[in-house]
Amino acid sequence: MSPKSLYIHVPFCERKCAYCAFASAVPKKGERGLYLEALAREFDIRLRGTRPKLETCYVGGGTPTALSPAQWNSLVATVEKHFDFAPAAEVTVEANPNSLTAEHLKIWRDWRVTRVSIGVQSFDDAELKLMGRLHDADGARRAIAAALSCGFDVGADLIFGLPRQTFRGWGLTLREAAHRGLSHISLYQLTLEEGTPWASLDEKLLGDGYAAYRWAQWYLPRRGYAQYEVANFAVPGRESRHNANYWREGEYIGAGPAAVSYTAGLRSKNYGSLARYAKSLEEGALPIEESEELTAEKSAREAAVLALRMTEGVFAENFIKRYGEKNYRSVCSAMQKFPRALYEIDNRGIRLTKKGMRVANIIWSEII
Amino acid sequence: MKYDNIRNFSIIAHVDHGKSTLSDRLLEATGTIEKRNMKAQLLDRLEIERERGITIKSVPVRMDYKAADGGNYVLNLIDTPGHVDFSYEVSRSLAACEGAVLVVDAAQGVEAQTVANSYLAADLDLELIPVLNKIDLPSAHPEQVKRELEEIIGIDAGDAVPVSAKTGEGVPELLERIVRDIPVPSGDASAPLQALIFDSVYDNYRGVICYVRVVNGTLSAGQNVRFMATAQDYELTEVGVFKPEMIQVGALGPGEVGYICASIKTIDEARVGDTVTESARPAAEPLAGYKKVKPVVFCGFYPIEREDINQLREALEKLQINDSAISFEPENSAALGFGFRCGFLGLLHMEIAKERLSREFGVDLVATAPNVVYQILLTDGSVKEAHRPSDFPEQVRIEEIREPYIKLSIFMPDQFVGAAMQLCQEKRGSYSGMDYIAPERVRLTYDMPLAEFILDFHDRLKSCTRGYASLDYEHVGFRAANLVKVDVLLQEEPVDAFSFICHADQAYHRGHAVVGKLKELIPRQLFEVPVQAAVGKKVIVRMNIKAVRKDVLAKCYGGDVTRKRKLLEKQKEGKKRMKQVGHVSIPQEAFLAFMDVTKSEEN
Repeated sequence: MSPKSLYIHVPFCERKCAYCAFASAVPKKGERGLYLEALAREFDIRLRGTRPKLETCYVGGGTPTALSPAQWNSLVATVEKHFDFAPAAEVTVEANPNSLTAEHLKIWRDWRVTRVSIGVQSFDDAELKLMGRLHDADGARRAIAAALSCGFDVGADLIFGLPRQTFRGWGLTLREAAHRGLSHISLYQLTLEEGTPWASLDEKLLGDGYAAYRWAQWYLPRRGYAQYEVANFAVPGRESRHNANYWREGEYIGAGPAAVSYTAGLRSKNYGSLARYAKSLEEGALPIEESEELTAEKSAREAAVLALRMTEGVFAENFIKRYGEKNYRSVCSAMQKFPRALYEIDNRGIRLTKKGMRVANIIWSEII
Repeated sequence: MKYDNIRNFSIIAHVDHGKSTLSDRLLEATGTIEKRNMKAQLLDRLEIERERGITIKSVPVRMDYKAADGGNYVLNLIDTPGHVDFSYEVSRSLAACEGAVLVVDAAQGVEAQTVANSYLAADLDLELIPVLNKIDLPSAHPEQVKRELEEIIGIDAGDAVPVSAKTGEGVPELLERIVRDIPVPSGDASAPLQALIFDSVYDNYRGVICYVRVVNGTLSAGQNVRFMATAQDYELTEVGVFKPEMIQVGALGPGEVGYICASIKTIDEARVGDTVTESARPAAEPLAGYKKVKPVVFCGFYPIEREDINQLREALEKLQINDSAISFEPENSAALGFGFRCGFLGLLHMEIAKERLSREFGVDLVATAPNVVYQILLTDGSVKEAHRPSDFPEQVRIEEIREPYIKLSIFMPDQFVGAAMQLCQEKRGSYSGMDYIAPERVRLTYDMPLAEFILDFHDRLKSCTRGYASLDYEHVGFRAANLVKVDVLLQEEPVDAFSFICHADQAYHRGHAVVGKLKELIPRQLFEVPVQAAVGKKVIVRMNIKAVRKDVLAKCYGGDVTRKRKLLEKQKEGKKRMKQVGHVSIPQEAFLAFMDVTKSEEN
């Protein structure tokens, strides 16, 4: 059975944000063309003539809108050349407010795009400036409105735990997000990553983020957004199927630099460097930098961690069928170290409570 | 062979009065070491001795000297440590001598160890040659120091030798005085062999090397000898003298100082203080030995990496061979795992041992807070010795707790008397006397619990007297005191490594400091963790470590689950390095910092 999910990584941005450690860079001349050619070659080599029928497709980055409308046409053609789509396939595209144009939206509408995920991050101009974003709050508002007017489901990414972010400031951003017609809201806590301008920032400036997250857990459901994953809230029925597939251990193909694929129990990661990625493909080889196949026990533990990201949690029956009774029990006993208020355990399985989600990382690190 | 040309002597002095420098000058003046091969503190062989400028081990050296009278003499100098913790080394060395050179700094005058070491020498009927050192200093006042010597120590200082170990001035005169005044060793070469082991070291190739002083008879290579304490016989493989490196000689006769090797593997077979005699013709009586020194300060040594426990054991065994005053036995702490409870003669002794373990043997270790040895009178009338807080029985079974006391002498300029007395009072000292040893110098004596002394007394005395005080102490036995064991509990469970003993009046104060420090050091857990200090069942301090709150929700991007898993695994690994006590993870640093807090913070 071939994978039903495809992720395409666009490794370009108009500018690197101060906090970002993802594989992306400001494109040099000719790099976008090189990328599109290499991507087509990757599909050729990877699929070997097969045509997977996709349930979900996600174009992320970087910044997919860093590709011009013309380049987007070429990208769409490449994907259509290699894949079929199921009738109600979910196709998501990420967009940045500053580079999203009407032409982009038109191309997407004419193609199969159902969701647009916008990198809003904040509705506070000072915060946006601090992060090195190229847009202001108004830009984000316009982008959301434009995407909505094309009939897409629109989601937004928000960041909390920013330096000197006040609780009130965060509350205002959340309130605005909840009043803009979005169907999906993702919340990410700022992490200071090695190799970024913010790596040397004093963590004490950030606070523990607990209150910000707890507020979102309280507020968003009251505005119609239910939490379905540790970082994701959605109007019921509008959850991202693509992301849920990751947590449910579904298979997926990842294409583009630094993208990860998971097929036939093997997880592999492409070269992060565009040059290295393209060179490998030119030589006719898959551009895989590293891959891993986990032992049964390790993959069981990882599966439990992934499942606990979702509010639905670990389903006992499925889990035992796949990994055996012993592995399930070892997850249960790892959970026992924690206060009962953090999780629920019953015949159906194990789930983190709202309170548990707030300290999920510690729980996962115990299980892994 | 004649032995009346031998002179055996030690140099005794207070710390920093120039003992090691004077030794260096004597070695030069007798040509034992050529000047170009000279380095400072030549006899202090341990790296740590040279670094700290102190002497820890006694080191003997043999010097050939042609005196003004034309005679050739053999001078055996046995260098001795100056710090009070090592006074047992001093007394051992002195027992191998007929005389001692008492060095006093002509600028500073008589200090605590001057007195203590002089008394040690006097007890052994040694001839003392007083020497006033540093007379080249402008601040030297030799006449007053002579008066101090006469008044405090009670020796005739009229013919004290003025020298400058720095410039070498007066050294030839001193050598003449040594030949003239140090008694000729008495001994009978034809009598049955009697040789005193005054020290020993371990050598990887030759086994235990015993430092000996022959009293009667003769030692020679190939001879069969008996160690009288163990009644074991050995064949001597090597006999030699110190010049100062070990040089083989044919034989050692009465009065001579040297070393012997006999393929001895463990220190127990060749105890310091034992008498070596001849197997074929044993002496009737052993020589007067030494009292076995009893450790008074204890602490636990634990390897930082658990699997290094055997390495630590081997290192301690080797260290013990070179320093028989160290005792150790295995112990097991719920918090720190397997380690050793080690006994020492004092705090400096403990620090030196710890440092030597890590430097010479490459063992990284955690030391628990030091404590003294306690005697506990139980309700059934028996007496139990406690080397650690966990040795304490339940409160109801305790009739009385006794702790070791010392008699403390402090020498200082009189302007600091007030400050020093205040410190002594605070440390539960009881005043025993004060006298003027010079118009502006005072000797203050107090009885004080050893536990208070080892805490941080020395450092605090130094700071409140601006470094002008010197001190010495002797043990004066055990006295009953109102002591309690304070337990520290995490989540209602006592953690043995954090328990400590203190006076009932200080229990709250110290408990508060310890609990406060732990609250700072133990990272937040997923639940609230109460940290308590308790005496028996009674909780006297309680603080809470608040529950951890939000942890990072890293974005798991584009299905890169591997990266996320590795991050989680790294976190888990970090947690493993912490000590798990119940559900609480305690970082190693908490155990270390706990020591600091018990040492100084509650002042």
